Amino acid sequence: MLRIDGLNASYGSIRVLKDVSIQVPAGNVVSIIGANGAGKSTLLKSISGIMKINGGRILYKERNIAGMRTNQIVRLGVSHVPEGRQIFAHLTVCDNINLGAYHYFKRSNRLEIKERMTRVYHMFPILEKRSKQIAGTLSGGEQQMLAIGRALMGRPELLLLDEPSMGIAPLVVREIFNVIKQLNQSGVTVLLVEQNAKAAIKVAHNSYVLERGEIVLEGSSAELLNNPKVKEHYLGG
Amino acid sequence: MEKITLASQLLQYFITGLTVGSVYAMVAVGFNIIYNVTEIINFAQGEFVMLGGLIMVFLHVAMGLSLILAFPATIVLVTLIGILIDRLAIRPIRCPSVLTLIIATIAVSIIIKGTASFIWGKNPFDLPAFSGRNPINILGAVIQPQYFWVIGFLVVTAVALSIFFDRTIMGKAMSACADNPNAASLVGINVKQMVLLSFALSAAIGAVAGITITPISLMEYDRGAMLAVKGFGAAILGGLGSFPGAILGGLIMGSIESFGAGLISSGYKDAFALIVLLVILFFKPSGLMGSVEISRIKRF
Repeated sequence: MLRIDGLNASYGSIRVLKDVSIQVPAGNVVSIIGANGAGKSTLLKSISGIMKINGGRILYKERNIAGMRTNQIVRLGVSHVPEGRQIFAHLTVCDNINLGAYHYFKRSNRLEIKERMTRVYHMFPILEKRSKQIAGTLSGGEQQMLAIGRALMGRPELLLLDEPSMGIAPLVVREIFNVIKQLNQSGVTVLLVEQNAKAAIKVAHNSYVLERGEIVLEGSSAELLNNPKVKEHYLGG
Repeated sequence: MEKITLASQLLQYFITGLTVGSVYAMVAVGFNIIYNVTEIINFAQGEFVMLGGLIMVFLHVAMGLSLILAFPATIVLVTLIGILIDRLAIRPIRCPSVLTLIIATIAVSIIIKGTASFIWGKNPFDLPAFSGRNPINILGAVIQPQYFWVIGFLVVTAVALSIFFDRTIMGKAMSACADNPNAASLVGINVKQMVLLSFALSAAIGAVAGITITPISLMEYDRGAMLAVKGFGAAILGGLGSFPGAILGGLIMGSIESFGAGLISSGYKDAFALIVLLVILFFKPSGLMGSVEISRIKRF
């Protein structure tokens, strides 16, 4: 579904991504693990168009989306849940969720929007309870759920998740990873970026290890979990 | 000659205050629209009012266009100027911070003022009142019919805007841009278009304010800055970003000015508004109707 060939990106003169090539087959969960500053978030930002890239191709459904504007990429079915949630803090929870459907928000789509909203509320019942609350007052875990819920409103076929476990209580992390599994079973392809390597590798079909902007390792969950190098550096020995 | 009682005089001040206040309220609403989308305080907001008045004078008086035609034509022209400001002054700035953009709007206001003095000169211009100048006598207070036009247009813009921002997805999308432009583009909102729309909208409202107030207070090239300061004061008084707050703030500001000028001294007319602004900034920066909850999570 998504194939990245020789992607390069930099902040000023610092090269953050060096010839990164990955593949995300339809229906899979692919995770990218790596330390802080390895370029994981930059990779996702390049895909969703927030970050301008310097070279390489990003093929989504055989179409090169590199250089397209963010608000057009969403329309193709790529939803990005950014690092640090980035919900609309001054608006209500309900408005946040509705805005997720912004790019197809029309009277004729009313039923679909309502149905998707019900599904999001079913997945995260706490959001329904808080629907009239200002989103900035939610707890970290609730904001993460809201960010995922908002992304799901956008008719995603490919979901890009950036550190969904960051700064969240372990119990909520487990809930969020369960949701990722459920979503994948319902047909959404997921590209997950995580520092929590163990959880990420377990939920994924296939994983990549990113170090200083380069892919250094690739493999299935079983392979990576038993790889001595991964064990030492990412799974805590 | 009728006897002027204190009560009728107070009523007179009050109604004058509401009228002047309506203009401040419209300026404040204009501030809020742009602020809500971009977090910029557009200091050229007062120039929209000035341009509205002067362009209307040009079309209606000098060109002889009828009121019904000149009114929308003026709004369209001022809206176009608003769009040009966004295109020429706001959008080209690289890596913009809110502060640089605010400074850009100050520059824009100086340029507009200079151009206006070049085109129209420094004299004030008059515009015929929409429905004559025969004053209406209410309980001893003398009221010009134009006052009702000013207040009426405030009500219309206020209602239309609150529906737009509270009930439509477009309005919500505009607020989302202010909140987090990156996240807004991630849900498919074209942020640049929204910024453009906000400048267009607030220019249009400024034009309405300028057109309706000119028959009462005349209009000249350098009126914009003071209107911007008072409108800004009204927006702060009501709570930056809140539309009901802007209207309340504008009306209070106008009333204070009118009562102050009438009862104390008209020489300090402008000082009253600024004193109110300072007091609010000292004691309740979130304003009368601003939500403390929201102002706490705002960056600017």
